[in-house]
Amino acid sequence: MAPPSGLHQSAIPSDFEKPFPALVRSSTVPASLKSHRADPSHLAPEDAYTPISPPRQPGLFDTGLDTRPRHIRRNDTSRSRSRRRKRFQKLLWVKQSYPDNYTDQATFLENLQRNPRVQPYDFWPLVADSTVILQHVCSVIIFIVCFVGIFQERVSPVSVVGWGSFATFLGWLLWDWWMTQEDQTGAGESGDMTRSMRDGRIYREYRPPRRQDSLPGPSLHQPLPNNISTASISSTSNLPSAASSTTNLLQYNHRPNPTPHQHHDNTSHNSTAPKLLTPGHSHSRSVSSVHSATSQNSANSPTSTRGPNHDSDPDSLPNTRAYLRVSTIKSAILIYFTLLGLSPILKSLTRSTSSDSIWAMSFWLLAINIFFFDYSGGTPSHISGPHKTKKMPVASLSTNAALMASTVLASRLPSTGQVFSLTLFSIEVFGLFPVFRSYARHRSWRYHFLLTVLLVLGAGGGVGIILGEAPATSWPWKRGLAGMVIGCLISAVAIGGCSWWLIGMQKYKNEIYGPWDPARPIIISRRHWDDD
Amino acid sequence: MAPTYNIAMVSDFFYPQPGGVESHIYQLSTKLMDRGHKVIIITHAYEGRTGVRYLTNGLKVYHVPFLVIFRSATFPTVFSFFPIFRNIVLRERIDIVHGHASLSNFCHEAILHARTMGLRTVFTDHSLFGFADAASILTNKLLKFTLSDVDHVICVSHTCKENTVLRASLDPLMVSVIPNAVVAENFKPLSPSENPSYPPPARPLGPHDIITIVVISRLFYNKGTDLLTAAIPRILENHPNTRFIIAGSGPKSIDLEQMIEQNVLQDRVEMLGPIRHEEVRDVMVRGHIYLHPSLTEAFGTVIVEAASCGLYVVCTQVGGIPEVLPSHMTVFAKPEEDDLVAATGRAIASMRANKVRTELFHAQVREMYSWENVAVRTERVYNGICGAISEGEFYGYYEGDNANNSWSATRGRSGVQSFALIDRLKRYYGCGIWAGKLFCLCVIVDYLLFLFLELWFPREVIDVCPDWPRKKRNDLSRE
Repeated sequence: MAPPSGLHQSAIPSDFEKPFPALVRSSTVPASLKSHRADPSHLAPEDAYTPISPPRQPGLFDTGLDTRPRHIRRNDTSRSRSRRRKRFQKLLWVKQSYPDNYTDQATFLENLQRNPRVQPYDFWPLVADSTVILQHVCSVIIFIVCFVGIFQERVSPVSVVGWGSFATFLGWLLWDWWMTQEDQTGAGESGDMTRSMRDGRIYREYRPPRRQDSLPGPSLHQPLPNNISTASISSTSNLPSAASSTTNLLQYNHRPNPTPHQHHDNTSHNSTAPKLLTPGHSHSRSVSSVHSATSQNSANSPTSTRGPNHDSDPDSLPNTRAYLRVSTIKSAILIYFTLLGLSPILKSLTRSTSSDSIWAMSFWLLAINIFFFDYSGGTPSHISGPHKTKKMPVASLSTNAALMASTVLASRLPSTGQVFSLTLFSIEVFGLFPVFRSYARHRSWRYHFLLTVLLVLGAGGGVGIILGEAPATSWPWKRGLAGMVIGCLISAVAIGGCSWWLIGMQKYKNEIYGPWDPARPIIISRRHWDDD
Repeated sequence: MAPTYNIAMVSDFFYPQPGGVESHIYQLSTKLMDRGHKVIIITHAYEGRTGVRYLTNGLKVYHVPFLVIFRSATFPTVFSFFPIFRNIVLRERIDIVHGHASLSNFCHEAILHARTMGLRTVFTDHSLFGFADAASILTNKLLKFTLSDVDHVICVSHTCKENTVLRASLDPLMVSVIPNAVVAENFKPLSPSENPSYPPPARPLGPHDIITIVVISRLFYNKGTDLLTAAIPRILENHPNTRFIIAGSGPKSIDLEQMIEQNVLQDRVEMLGPIRHEEVRDVMVRGHIYLHPSLTEAFGTVIVEAASCGLYVVCTQVGGIPEVLPSHMTVFAKPEEDDLVAATGRAIASMRANKVRTELFHAQVREMYSWENVAVRTERVYNGICGAISEGEFYGYYEGDNANNSWSATRGRSGVQSFALIDRLKRYYGCGIWAGKLFCLCVIVDYLLFLFLELWFPREVIDVCPDWPRKKRNDLSRE
């Protein structure tokens, strides 16, 4: 057998014929059962917050050499052969002079890493981030409060939906104003983008058209139409024709909103996709073919709301805005009348079901809504980069669950007007409001804080009022005030306590990485062919 | 004269299903039989393969009827395997139960029941698992359950040993590293007389000769097919006289085909689709370089096979791969597109410069890896757990070591695991706050089931089957 020409002296079969040397007990075995720390291969609690490799006692087998390269390559074969026992090598092809269960102190688990990528949390940023959850929980509570108010006939449904619609209108005005501002500041940028993308056309050809992950423009509002329309399909699925018409209407209702963003997108990106996807709200795959056909039409036909904006340059922005506003109002009216038409059907939807089932069901649906809500808040322009954000596959589940909950709750109500009010209100709360919230958060921290305070006060006050006994003759402001105070206290304690708890639990974090983990391939010229 | 044992290999994975674990079990069993042991294999029934079968060499295979749920792994019913397992074990007078593969439910159940019945158990781990995702956590807990009370564990590489020790909280001394092997006769390089249409590898490569790069793997994400897809166009662009042969199938093959079409590489990349294990050698000998872009690998038998066929190996430095081959046979790359392209470039350059003596690889690999060697080393494990070699020799104690030191919860005073139920329960109890109690409950139920079976189906009424004539152990001189 030809030895490998002096390159590797270790693979000489004579090594294996040496008798196994008598071994001392390795200190990896726990010397006493009391101190588990004596065993460096096992993890001890204190390892959780000391992100270093386990301490290594000098091994009993050390031959006195300090450096232990993994691949020993010495040309002086005669010297090493004269050594009685060679160092242990972590290699399989070498015939070792050690038994198979020999555990080398120096090299065993040398590549183990503990908590290599842990970033410690800070208290106040954590509190600030958790307000997103608080906002959503509060808006759900407000919705429930409104339902209870309507159900117990304390509040007139007209006032609920009136105030809700008024707030929505205000929010829309605010949003529209922000949009106008952004368009004015962003007009120059988009022109630059157009130019730069003209140069980068070759690169663009590599992209499949439906990859929309890295849109540079703020694509916050695009998922909304899909979510809403899906929800209405699911809620009105007993009526195919009505469903399709609702889809249509909702499509038109919300299609105008994203258009200013699409203006950015279309100039900067070759978005031939009829559907616009964002990673935050994943588009719902349950959208029916009717829906997709509709959206295709609306995207492609020049008479649709979106058509004329395709090639508009910054000069035509005011026209676009006005056009958008008109079409938004138009679609709002359309959705209003559709819901009005559907309300009698919804009213009798669950007449044969007992109320207990409805309460339980709506509780679980709202719980699903809270737990599966996409708290990352869409993809704001400054976060979405070339790196892929992790998609939440069940984001539309949240909205669908909430709208279903509102539908079954509305079907408990006795009159058509109440049903209509609650359904419209639920669309405002669960469909439109989250979008506004996440946009306000990315717009300014002050808006976000103000909104949080308002929501907490509203939810606390509402719960306080609702928990009173029979419908009070006068406005129960005392109860409401107490509720607000208690709500503020509870939310402060909850946010602070949970943040503190989470920080306290960080010491239990123990991530283990090592060579056994699947490597993460770094692929630069990634062609987006994978489906997910 | 060293003792011989009756060994039962238990795994969900065995022939007719092809695969690495399957061939490992078969080869190891055959070589152990050559050394005078009696080996049977217990697996579940495959379609068209039920009952008891004899393979070459008198290797007896029990195909136990069992519900298969996923990728030929059986449904984990902790106890339902016990009656038939006990029957087989008593019938064959088994001393040692040797389970394979950590995703095999049969293996875990068999180890549990064998310990209840008072048999020695060995477990061989063939794969690597992370610690992060939910599936791994579940598998690791299950592994911890089984391995709390096992006599010895065999891993196929040092990385695998570290992984298993961490996953199951084992004493590293009861984990041996015994690599896989290859049947070198089946992976010979091309002899000139065999097929004159290919140039013999010994001939020096000119600068304009075509260098063929072979890739044989299942085309899955964890086999690094994404890296391959990204690297192939760049490699072919940098090196004009090269071409690829890709064999294997999988969900990522569509990506490769799209890459080929997009870059118009149909005449330089040949996709063979799925091939049988017997054909691997015939594909390998068509090339000069073997490219292995895997992202995780416990051992990587295929690179040993490629080296045995006389191919220069380019592989990613992941898992146990760096331990497998000497560096004059391999070029290592980081699992990055750039580095893989660069490493392949280095390999092509040194092939063209005739620096690599691939014609010597086959003989060297045959020296490094052989199933006889694996069987000898496995036999030492059997000797150690059965007490044929002393505890000090097996685990590495001095005889005069003090008494405190030579006792641990994992091993009894004799150096082998104690069978007493209370000792076993002690080991299981440490598995976790809730899991420990649950495992203890399972063990107690298993023990009660054992007592019930002893009463209901007494040992006396179970026939003992006649043994296949054992081989004389003739190769003691080789050791």
